[in-house]
Amino acid sequence: MQIHQFHPTVAYGNAIGDQVLSLQRLLRHLGYSSEIFCEQLPLHFQGRTRRIAQYSHYSSPANILLLHFSLGYSPAVLSWLEQVPDRKVVVYHNITPHVYFNGINDVYRQAAEVGREQLDRLSALTEAGWGDSTFNCQELVERGWTRLGVLPIIFDPQRYRVRPERQVLQRWQGGVNILFVGRVSPNKRFEDLILTVYYVKRLVRPEARLLLVGSWRGMEPYLDFLQALIERLGLSDVFFAGHVSTAQLVAYYRCASVYLSMSEHEGFGVPLVESMYFGVPIVAYKAAAVPETLGDSSILVTAKDYAGTAELIGLLIEDASLRDQIVARQRERFQDFLPDRVEGRLRELLYSLGNGVEK
Amino acid sequence: MDSDWLEISDKDVNVEEIMQQIRERIARRGVSPGKTEVPTTMAENLWKEMVGDATDESALGKLISIQPRDCDIVPRHYVIDWRVPILGPIHAVVRRIINDEIRRYLFASLEKQALFNRKVLRALKGLAEENARLRQEIEALRGAQESEIG
Repeated sequence: MQIHQFHPTVAYGNAIGDQVLSLQRLLRHLGYSSEIFCEQLPLHFQGRTRRIAQYSHYSSPANILLLHFSLGYSPAVLSWLEQVPDRKVVVYHNITPHVYFNGINDVYRQAAEVGREQLDRLSALTEAGWGDSTFNCQELVERGWTRLGVLPIIFDPQRYRVRPERQVLQRWQGGVNILFVGRVSPNKRFEDLILTVYYVKRLVRPEARLLLVGSWRGMEPYLDFLQALIERLGLSDVFFAGHVSTAQLVAYYRCASVYLSMSEHEGFGVPLVESMYFGVPIVAYKAAAVPETLGDSSILVTAKDYAGTAELIGLLIEDASLRDQIVARQRERFQDFLPDRVEGRLRELLYSLGNGVEK
Repeated sequence: MDSDWLEISDKDVNVEEIMQQIRERIARRGVSPGKTEVPTTMAENLWKEMVGDATDESALGKLISIQPRDCDIVPRHYVIDWRVPILGPIHAVVRRIINDEIRRYLFASLEKQALFNRKVLRALKGLAEENARLRQEIEALRGAQESEIG
């Protein structure tokens, strides 16, 4: 039996791209023939991915085609999918609600709106819907799916076994570093991170720094707003690192004292699992899929009490036993996302599809 | 285990004790809830000023197609760069000085212009609102007059 995957494009260092590649490894390990098909052939994956035009050579009603969905498909892809006779399953990674892009990026806003509309069309084309989290599955239920399953993002520690970049370590190691990793986007509420750090510096640790790792491409008006806010608050020590390499990312985690997330919309939250792996205690705002990803680990805040959260961060930095307790539980939780654990889950989900899929 | 705004699922951690410590620390520093609202309001106002009201999808909002972000003309991400691989550190120092000086002189004026643009946009929106209101009044008066004549 063949189980193939489709995503418009695949890129390293991108949560969905990494998931597609990890899933291919798992599917092959389970004995399935599995290829990745893209609309746009990514430059760095020549040989590992194929164009959808080539799918006719693989297509069969006995195959399963996993459709990764995050920002919407082109009309050409949708009509192609309507013609493909294979059994199809949507793997939903969530779409950021379009309202977050109002006044920031009209193209993203429109893409998010169109993407949500396409979900309705996809529900008629696919026989099951899988989400990275129950939160994502909930939206699939609202859009008409009845056969659902949670397939978490696979965390492969191998990817992070690189030498941390020395320049980053030299610059930031030592001191109090509050870290957030994620695209500079309004749903991630960078302004709340800045306001929290304003109180950390004012009340708790004046030397604290806020390190923000993630690309701001397409989000320049939002970045301008954040920089103006930093200036008006008279805040120093807030650094936007932009997009970083894996070696740099590892170095940032190594330098972090606390990982702080104030995000309001996450379909899963890969950096949370990365923080668990690197032993960085997490303080996160309880929203969307964040509590589900954290499980019974970490610290959740249910209200945006900036001064209170600042004091909590102070406690975590000063109280080694509390920090160790939180980190120990996080280390247990992160095991749930390792490839062998997710492989078991994948096997169950495939079995639930029936018709020739063996357990 | 839930206590106020803090949640820790790990049963080995005493949430109430942590919450108490946080309360004591805040009390010790004399931060009243009122004080914490100042930066929050500042952030909200700045958002409205720079990005605009996210819910402004009214006919009026569409009438004036200028977005608050269009008012901002400061090239914050622009840096003077050249790639002549000679002179090494001198090259870096000169480049930094030029960039800093440009930011110091030019950006201050551009920030003022951007603020002025935002004020003009707000005034325009206010005028458009007033115009729509007056039109409605005229229509209502016309209607009343016609029914009186009729």
